[in-house]
Amino acid sequence: MTGQPVSGYLAASDRAAPRTDPMTLECDDMTHLIEATGLTKHYEGFSLDGVDLTVDDGEVVGFVGKNGAGKSTTIKALLGLIGVDAGEARLLGQVSTGGDLAPEVRERIGVVFDTVSVPPHLKVGDVGRLYGRAFRTWEGHAFARRLKDFGLDAGKQVKELSRGMGMKLSLACALSHGSSLLILDEATAGLDPMAREEVLDMLRDFVAAPGRAILMSSHITSDLERIADRVVCIDEGRIVFDLAKDAIIDEMGVARCRVADFERIASSGFVPESELRYQRNEYGIDVLVPDRYDFARRFPDVPCDRMTIDDYMTLMLKGGVR
Amino acid sequence: MKRAYLIEMTVLKDYMRQLIPLGFFVAFCISLGMQSIVAAPAVITMLDFMMGSMAAAAYDEQNNWGLFRLTMPVTRRDVVLARYAVILTLGCTGMAIGLLAAAVLTGVASAVELPGGLSSILAFDPGTVLGMLFASFFCMFMGSAVASVITPVYFRFGQTKATQYLPMMTVLIFIIPMLIIGSGVLDEAAVSMETLAELLKLIETPAGTAACMAVFAAASLVVLGISAAVSLRIYARREL
Repeated sequence: MTGQPVSGYLAASDRAAPRTDPMTLECDDMTHLIEATGLTKHYEGFSLDGVDLTVDDGEVVGFVGKNGAGKSTTIKALLGLIGVDAGEARLLGQVSTGGDLAPEVRERIGVVFDTVSVPPHLKVGDVGRLYGRAFRTWEGHAFARRLKDFGLDAGKQVKELSRGMGMKLSLACALSHGSSLLILDEATAGLDPMAREEVLDMLRDFVAAPGRAILMSSHITSDLERIADRVVCIDEGRIVFDLAKDAIIDEMGVARCRVADFERIASSGFVPESELRYQRNEYGIDVLVPDRYDFARRFPDVPCDRMTIDDYMTLMLKGGVR
Repeated sequence: MKRAYLIEMTVLKDYMRQLIPLGFFVAFCISLGMQSIVAAPAVITMLDFMMGSMAAAAYDEQNNWGLFRLTMPVTRRDVVLARYAVILTLGCTGMAIGLLAAAVLTGVASAVELPGGLSSILAFDPGTVLGMLFASFFCMFMGSAVASVITPVYFRFGQTKATQYLPMMTVLIFIIPMLIIGSGVLDEAAVSMETLAELLKLIETPAGTAACMAVFAAASLVVLGISAAVSLRIYARREL
């Protein structure tokens, strides 16, 4: 791994086209709802190392990586919750690093962490009241409707909720104060498949309105395959790749090779040898194929599966380069 | 700051409901032991100042609430100032409730003959009222002083870690004055018994009690203000 972000397997034009709506954005040219450049933060044993990240108007960006890779640290740095040693982040056009983000900007940012983040003794209804005190833009009726949709009892205490129900509560809160930007850290973790589908539908509806975007860190890459426009992967504090999701799952493939096939592919020049990523497994060798349709024409005898985000991450993070 | 204050009050609402009966229970036990209700409002005042600051800090650590709150439209400065405003609100509310309850009890005792000699214990007496006010405002100052010491420690370390340090700090706070007094360096400045008697006589007058109340209230605000300034600096730098 070189540490350089990989964005060149397919063209950058694969990214979702940004939209601009002067009614909801303060500046006509503010298409980056999140813009981070060179975010650096050193801890003992771990460093966030020059993270660049953008989320544009209309985009859902999936943020992936192993446990401890730096996803949550990046999110905290973006939100200005931790100081950074270098770099700058802007949320909705305002600098968020190095100080307190203006309350007016925070009003428009919905945040969900990986656990329900309010004191456990509060009742679900109290959580709504708490948000009502915090956000001038709080939509009490929308919150009540979402509680009903999610089957959440307003009289239940937060500590009585299962993890999944707690996450639903957090999402209901984040979606009920007129946010333009959602920052979700493992927000679908703990949800059953039906509830996840329900949440993904809500997120799709949210981002369909102009001037909105979502940054969503998740280990459930199947969710990202359904909703994300772009996937950014971080490892050991560095961005490893930043690609349009369609470039990964629609065009790339994993060739399931025997050793002889692998040597044949390598010597064919189909993929420059220095870029040929592969991973050995007990059945043979998996090879990252940038264009599986072209590959199928060139090597019809080698099976080539559709690439998943998981496959791509595994090949990029654990695979070798010839 | 208003938002942060309202958020904090929403979080502490249930705790306040529990704290009031607890305060009454403790005050009842002490009053029973003293055979007087002169200290009852003071006990509730002190309890609310101390417990309010501890409870608010405890909630910060539950479910990572202290961190998550900063994703809401409040600044770190708002959070600190709101915390002190809430401590003051809880303490003053405790004092008001304690004094009101004492007044109601005295009124009931004057109107109805209560069993077990309670009517004579609770009977209206100007001296008891002055004592009650003096003790309440003194405990307001003591409660504020305790809250002023522990709140910056909570902001620096969080409640779990601070709990390990606070017993040591409390011991030091008591030992250091004892060492200073015991060393004799203050003997020159010691107040004579006559002066002390004059002072106590003054305190027992309505004007003297009012002056003491004003001094204690002002001193409470000063210590809380100094503590808030320290907490602002600490919390601005703290990595959550």
